[in-house]
Amino acid sequence: MSSEEPSANIAELHHKQPAFRGLEAGHLACPGCGQALGARLVTEAIGPDVIIANATGCLEVFTSAWPRSSWRVPWIHSLFENAPAVASGIEAALKMQGRPTKVVAMGGDGGTFDIGLQSLSGMLERNHNVLYVCFDNEGYMNTGGHRSGSTPHAAVTMTSPSGKKRMGKRHLKKDLLAIIGAHQIPYAATATVAYPSDLRAKVRRGIEIEGAAFLLVHSPCPLGWGHEGALSIEIARLAVQTGFFPIVEMERGAVVNAMQIRNVRPVAEYLRPQHRFQHLFSDSPEAREELEHLQQLADYNIERYRLTSGQSESRDTEATDTVMRGGMRWS
Amino acid sequence: MPILTRGSFANAATSLALKTGDWRLQRPQYRHRSAPCAVGCPAGENPQAYIAMVAEGNLRGAWEMLVAANPLPAITGRVCHHPCESACHRGSYDQPIAIHSVERFLGDRAIAEGWNYPLKPSSPDAPRVAVVGAGPAGLSAAYHLARLGLSVTLFDAEPEPGGLLRSALPPYRLPRTVLNSEIARLLAVGIAFKPNRRVGRDVSIDELRADFQAIFLGPGTSRPREWSVDGTVPSDLRTGLDLLREWISIGAIPTYNRVAIIGGGNTAIDLARVLKFSGVDEVHLITFQALPGPAVRREEAMSAAPREIGQALEEGVTIHDRRGVRRLIMRGNRVVGVETVHMKELGTATGERKLVSFEGTETILKVDHVIPAIGQQLDSSVFGNLLGQPSIFVGGDARSAAGTVSGAIGDGCRAAIAIRNYLDGLPPAGDEMPRPIAFDDLNINYFDHAPRAEALILEVEHRSAEKEIEAGISHQDLNAEAHRCFSCGECMSCDNCWTLCPDNAVLKADTRDGWRYAFDYDHCKGCGICANECPVGFITMFDEQ
Repeated sequence: MSSEEPSANIAELHHKQPAFRGLEAGHLACPGCGQALGARLVTEAIGPDVIIANATGCLEVFTSAWPRSSWRVPWIHSLFENAPAVASGIEAALKMQGRPTKVVAMGGDGGTFDIGLQSLSGMLERNHNVLYVCFDNEGYMNTGGHRSGSTPHAAVTMTSPSGKKRMGKRHLKKDLLAIIGAHQIPYAATATVAYPSDLRAKVRRGIEIEGAAFLLVHSPCPLGWGHEGALSIEIARLAVQTGFFPIVEMERGAVVNAMQIRNVRPVAEYLRPQHRFQHLFSDSPEAREELEHLQQLADYNIERYRLTSGQSESRDTEATDTVMRGGMRWS
Repeated sequence: MPILTRGSFANAATSLALKTGDWRLQRPQYRHRSAPCAVGCPAGENPQAYIAMVAEGNLRGAWEMLVAANPLPAITGRVCHHPCESACHRGSYDQPIAIHSVERFLGDRAIAEGWNYPLKPSSPDAPRVAVVGAGPAGLSAAYHLARLGLSVTLFDAEPEPGGLLRSALPPYRLPRTVLNSEIARLLAVGIAFKPNRRVGRDVSIDELRADFQAIFLGPGTSRPREWSVDGTVPSDLRTGLDLLREWISIGAIPTYNRVAIIGGGNTAIDLARVLKFSGVDEVHLITFQALPGPAVRREEAMSAAPREIGQALEEGVTIHDRRGVRRLIMRGNRVVGVETVHMKELGTATGERKLVSFEGTETILKVDHVIPAIGQQLDSSVFGNLLGQPSIFVGGDARSAAGTVSGAIGDGCRAAIAIRNYLDGLPPAGDEMPRPIAFDDLNINYFDHAPRAEALILEVEHRSAEKEIEAGISHQDLNAEAHRCFSCGECMSCDNCWTLCPDNAVLKADTRDGWRYAFDYDHCKGCGICANECPVGFITMFDEQ
């Protein structure tokens, strides 16, 4: 009950944590970065025996300010578009050597939805035994917040401003999961930093599976989305609870599982804390129409992926991360 | 650190040398906040803390923590109106924690296992304190004085200790075995008990003053309040408490056909139930207070415990709430009926509250007896002019108008501390608690709904005045209840902060003082995720200087 900080040697404690931490402190991500948290959780679930190939993007930049690195695992960055190709080569070499080390490729949505899509498609088509993790913060946030193929409809970015003609991004968010599914790979899933138990379980599944696996992790960006860093988890959770970002699993291109939403929240609750959607709350017919459009897109997700069963389930949006005294649930 | 100049190459985890804590505008800190149950407990218990120990499987430790505030948990677990549960934040989510059931389980377990208070015997030259009245306030004061190392002598007018607990609480609410076990354990801590000594009759205040260095007075209220309707008093009038005491001590009660009891407190309800159990046809209870319900404000509701009111209704007691007696209908000097009228407490222009009766709402109720149960007052002939005397301390019903057992126990504890400070020449201690936590400061997303453990209650047809009506909960239900607790304002080691920090700046520290995490301020950027996602509100953000 003491309010004093424990008088432990903090620097030593970094080496005495009960779980492996693949991404260490001292990286240069913004306060409240969803991607930094996501990368941390993913590497913790994988463990130390892994090689990571990283595409250009925030994650690459903020973890590798030369001459220092935040990684505790072998990690390589080559180009924006070739992380899947690099990972494919590493996997082939390890296979030749008969070594069991896992291979993981990481990229942002820019490197995955747009720039590296071709090499990703090749890796999936050749069914390399690689887990590809895309941290989806819905824009080119490293270079100043430009729109990407993943930016949601109506979101304001530097290159999709809101004005007289348009209310933010004109186009829809690319349905990457359908593209991935078309490759008939053994396992693909979406996850979010708001539900770490679910995220870790999916990383382990993707690693265990023989063949290519793909994981899309929704990762809030306080700077690019325009919200308080403290709200990153809350916003990511609302994205799921509104149906805006569906949490699903696919095997061989078929949806086999979807996290059920116990209490569906109106999409405005997700949008309101974010500056990139503020223009939708102005008093104009256009704003009202676009707001309704986003609500319809969320409703369509719920319909399409069957996100409501009407029953309480142990892995639904309310129960997945129920806390327990002593922290048992995260393991 | 080796720096290789060829190409881009860096050693693992070398970024730890970068102190990104420099960026921080706000600093998270672990801060205990008071749980609403602890704030709401008149006896000064901290249910959140002992429920946490129950959840860890440490029943003995939980009981010892509980009796550090309240030495009589098996009794209060049964008879307290548990304001802790009305305050419980879980009530704003699904249903409050059954704190009274947890308290009772621990109290019963201690009796069954023969656990003793973790006390050291007081030294022979300890200061001597007299405690007057062996009711809940006096017993609590005696116990806490003994805990603080003082030598205690306890006086009571009756042959047996217990005060109102013994004389006014019927066995269906408080079995005598429970009462006797807890009081015997309490007196065994080295308290000298002097029965049959009424202060003012057998011993005077001045005599006590000569023999003791301080005096605690917990005499209760023994004088019935005056009652009449416009000066009319039936010749055979008996008060509610008087009848209840008579029934408890000799097991008999006068036979009535139709009775109206005036009052909305526990005595009124207890008497109504005892009369019903003993075969009275019609038992009416008339009170200007309201039946408790979701739409009724706490201060407007009947002061009896809601569960007792509910059970009385099940047993066939008729309650006329928000009504007052306008007139007694007399035949000679005997009552044959009462005229009741709708009544409500309303605010006046000066902000006070006053009772207003509404013309045109009069009803006649035929009864053959009227029994006022409107409370007692202090016997001021003995205790009237002791105010302001430095070595004399007062607690329990004698101090406040709306007395409760738990309030009296809290008074005893506070008085004991005040007496110790007085004897040591220290200033009186204030009641200091950490800032209470609001429901909105919890993060409810991390909890899931679970039903409250309800104790088994005897069916109406099996009830009698002698048999306890409410049972305790099972050990399994106890554990389930302990895990339902939100742990408001106190760390439950859930790992949320440790798991959700984007900067690895929350570390498991495994310290031994109850919580297990430490902030690495060299790397914490102050984003506030940990504070926002802490389910129990144990993390507060402070501006950096």
